[in-house]
This record gives sequence, C-alpha cells and structure tokens, in this order.
Amino acid sequence: MISSPRAALEALVSTPGLTRIDPPILMSADPYFDLAGEEFRRRLVLTSGVDGEEYCLRPDFTLPIARHYLENGVGEAAYSYLGTLFRQRPDGPAEFDQTGLELIGQPDPAAALDRVIHFARDVLMTYGVTAPRVRIGSVALFEAVLAGAEMPDVWRPRLRHRFGHAGSLDALLERLSDPHGAEGNIRTPPLAEIETDVAGRMAAAGLPFDTSRAPAEIAARYLEKQALAAAYVPGETIQLLTDYLGVAGPVETALATIGGLIETPPAGFEVARAAIRRHFETLGQCLPGAEIVFDAGFAPRLDYYTGLVFEMTGEDGAVLASGGEYDRLLQRLGAGREIAASGCALWVDRLEKEGGK
Amino acid sequence: MSGLILAVPSKGRLEEATRKVFAKAGLAIERPGGARSYQGDIPALPGVVVRFLPASEIARELIRGTVHAGVTGADLIHEASEQGPQSARFARPLGFGGADVVIAVPDAWIDVTSMRDLADVASDFRAGHGRWLRVATKYLNLTRRYFARFGIAEYRIVESLGATEAAPAAGAADLIVDITSTGSTLAANGLRIVEDGLILKSEANLIVSKTIVWDAEALVLRKSLLGAFGVDGD
Repeated sequence: MISSPRAALEALVSTPGLTRIDPPILMSADPYFDLAGEEFRRRLVLTSGVDGEEYCLRPDFTLPIARHYLENGVGEAAYSYLGTLFRQRPDGPAEFDQTGLELIGQPDPAAALDRVIHFARDVLMTYGVTAPRVRIGSVALFEAVLAGAEMPDVWRPRLRHRFGHAGSLDALLERLSDPHGAEGNIRTPPLAEIETDVAGRMAAAGLPFDTSRAPAEIAARYLEKQALAAAYVPGETIQLLTDYLGVAGPVETALATIGGLIETPPAGFEVARAAIRRHFETLGQCLPGAEIVFDAGFAPRLDYYTGLVFEMTGEDGAVLASGGEYDRLLQRLGAGREIAASGCALWVDRLEKEGGK
Repeated sequence: MSGLILAVPSKGRLEEATRKVFAKAGLAIERPGGARSYQGDIPALPGVVVRFLPASEIARELIRGTVHAGVTGADLIHEASEQGPQSARFARPLGFGGADVVIAVPDAWIDVTSMRDLADVASDFRAGHGRWLRVATKYLNLTRRYFARFGIAEYRIVESLGATEAAPAAGAADLIVDITSTGSTLAANGLRIVEDGLILKSEANLIVSKTIVWDAEALVLRKSLLGAFGVDGD
C-alpha cells in the first residue's frame, strides 16, 4: 500500500527497467561552463577548491547522467532520478527536488519520447494534477524552415543560436531587415593584404596567433562583413521567419497556419511536422484534460536540443515539467556522433503545491 | 545603534576627495585617530557615525543595509549584486572618481567595431575554436547584463582582479571589460573600445541605502546630510 505521493514517486523511479542514478552533489563546474556558457553560470551555487578550481552544487541531472552514460553505458539506457538540486534565484540560493527520466541511445527515438511523456504524466498523476497546460515546440521544424529560407549562409547558424532567446532573436531579425550600408562598390583590398595588415597589428600588440582569433579569420570576417552590407536578407525571408515565430495556438490550427506560410516544404519539414502530430496525439491520450498548444517560438535556451520540446505548467503558470529531445548533447560531451536522447524533469516542490490546491 | 552610519572610502585619492567635498558642503569629517583609525564623525552633524571602509565594501554594505549612507563608485553598486541598483538610491554624483566601464577588443580585430559584430563573432567562435569566446573582467554582473542586452550568450567570463588589459596578450582571454578614465592604458595594450561598448559611465556618488531600517533619528539626520548637498532628503 503506497501511503504518500512521495512514496509513489520513489516507487516510480525504481520501476524495473529503469536505472536510478544519484550523481554526487558536489561537482566540477567546468562541464557546465563548457556546455552552457556564461548565461548558466549565474544560476550555479559555486565554491572553489584550494587550487582555484571551481565547483558547483548539482544544478541539474541531465549533464551528470549524460556523462555517466559516456563513461559506462553502451547501447540503450533508461535512467531515472529523484533528488535535490541547487540553483541561484533572485532571492538567493535555493535547494529543491526534481525527478525525471533520461532515455539515451534508444533504437526508436519517437517511442522513447512517448515513454518520456508517459513518465511525466505518471508523476503528475501521483500529485493529482490532471489538467496542466502543455506547450509544444519544435527545434527540428524551426531548423527546417531556416534551412529552406533564402539568405546568405552565414546568418543561418547565427539565427539558430538565438532560437529560444526571444528578445535577441527578434533583435537580430530586426537588424537583418534594415537594409543599411548597401553602398554598392566599396573597394576592398584582397584577402592576403588584409591578413598581412591584421598580422602586423597583432604582432605590434603582442597578441598570440594561435590561441585566439587568427589573422585569416579576422580578415575573412572583415570581407564577409563588407559583402553582407550589400547582400542583405530578403524582406520576404524576414517576414516568413517573423510570421513563423509568431504562430502559437491549438496544435492543428497552428500547424495549418505554418503550412500556409511555407510554399515549398524544405527538407525535414514534413518529418518534423509528423513528429509534432504523433506526440500531440500521445499527449492528448495521456492527459485528456490538458490544454495543448504549439508555440513555434518556444525552445529551451540550450542549443543541444534537437527535435520536439515540451513544457507543462500549472494553474498559476509555474513550470511543473519540461522535456524534449536532445540528440546533440552526447556529441557535445565527446561522443563521436549524435546519439538519440530524450528526457524530462519535474519540479517536486511545485507539484506538491499544485496537488494541494 | 541609533544615529546614522555614513561609510566613506578609507584611503587614497577617494578618501581625500570625499573629505574635500564634505568640507565644502559644511560637513567636515574628523578622523581623530588618523589614517589607522576606522571611525570618525562630523562635528557639524552630531549623531552621524563615520566609518572608513574600502570602496567595494561600502557598496556591499549599502546593499545589505548595514550602513545608512555612503560614498562609493556607481560601478561598484551595479557590480556588487544583481539587486544593487534597486537596493540603493544615488542621491548625488560628487564630481570625482570618474571612470567608464567599457568593452575593449584587440585593435587588430578590424572586423569588430560594434556590439553587433561582437555578437556575430561570439556566435561563430565556438564552431571554429572548440571553446567559448573568453571575456576577462572583474565586472561579472555588469558584463552579463550588458551582453544579455545585445543577445550575446555564447561566451565565458574569466575573472580578472588586476591588469585585465594584459589578458588578451597573455592568451588568457579574447577581449576585456574594464574600467578606464582616459583610454590610454587600453591603447598601450593594443586594445580598442567597441563603438557602443560603453557599459556604464561611473563616478563617486553620495548613496543612500534602501534596505536598512530608517528610524526617526536617522531620517532627521538624512534630511540634514542630503540637504547640505542640495538634495531633498525625504
């Protein structure tokens, strides 16, 4: 007889077939810096060793679990966790519990994501939460739209990097839509000449040639910048991306709207759209009481996410669960290739509050 | 403790300049024990306790609410905490200790003249170098906030507590965020300020804590103190 939601949760993460992982609480902060850059650092609870090396208190489970997989795992793995995390919040450092599931190297990634969704549902049910608001986003669909849009190639990765940072993506689109500096025939010296000039400046300033930006790199971007002033992103492309990112609403309506924006579906578009439909169906079956929307501009701020992403929120808008596919994470951490991965994390304290309503 | 605690810089040019402007406002600061004493008073304003502290500690104490008022650089209030600017009121700039917090890149980066360029370089950097673009600075909070404003997320801060301008030549960082008053140190190190890279124009300010509890006596003293500088103290 299970007496409390907490005990039910313990049972859930200990289900046969799952490997429960409890990584050390004190860990080197470097992998987080490498993965997430400066943005994430301000959320870490940091301390330093006598040798100056920085450590943090466990801020999430996904990274240590992915590293564990790289060190020990082969083939398919299903990890579960339930434990305490530490993060800086505006009102100071906080500790809170999370539970979740990470499926790595599964032969059928779509089935794996469905399993993740079922797990999230099971945790929600444990706390009696039956009608969350569910938001779906798709990194894959945005990448397909971006790949198909007409623009100088250099802008694609830069736009991709800003996907999920609403303000900065808008700012970049606005900048690209401003056709300034199309001055026609600026006379630019040949690459070699610029490179020599840059190398001379670097040598004069005593700058290293091998550890930072090299003369060739600076010269190439200098020319690129001149060229881009003349070759701007077409207005239709800006309009398409702006319209696309603004689509949000009931899933079928949103997908129809997006379909109307795209004249010729680029590679990957149909696959991404089919994936959204499939998991939308899973979500609908799992959580018949949930309001489910597709939000084209929704993405986590971390660029290792790849396919579908989702978020479940409670009555007051607090995020109860978030998850998705992150096929690029293991490659980032040193695997030689992309490895299919999907998972979710759930905030136990918020669920306790939500369930008590 | 009753009265009003006023924190002022404990040494150097900042201490001298502070005492000069206070004397000019008719509030000469006495430091009975000389430079080795850390407490003083203002004979013209009995009830004010003057504490001599390093400038960065003054910022911290104002934010934490352990002193009522203080004199320190605006940059230090912005830097000491993300809540810094909300926790203190800049009552009056004092006309000394002026310096700018700026973003400077190697002058050899001829393709980088604006923050837009820097955003593009940061975005491309990792794919080409296998690591993040590195920014040397002691201004962690100011840097994070300013970079975020330009949508730059692809970088890492390397903390630097001194000789920051040497970091690019030493290979410790690719660019810097640092304080400068004339720009000559930056130029001597082959660095150039990015056109829209002025993060903050800073100078010494008379600052009032918003987080400390103000009792009746402290409020009266605040009115006199700020009044002497021509500022409404209510």
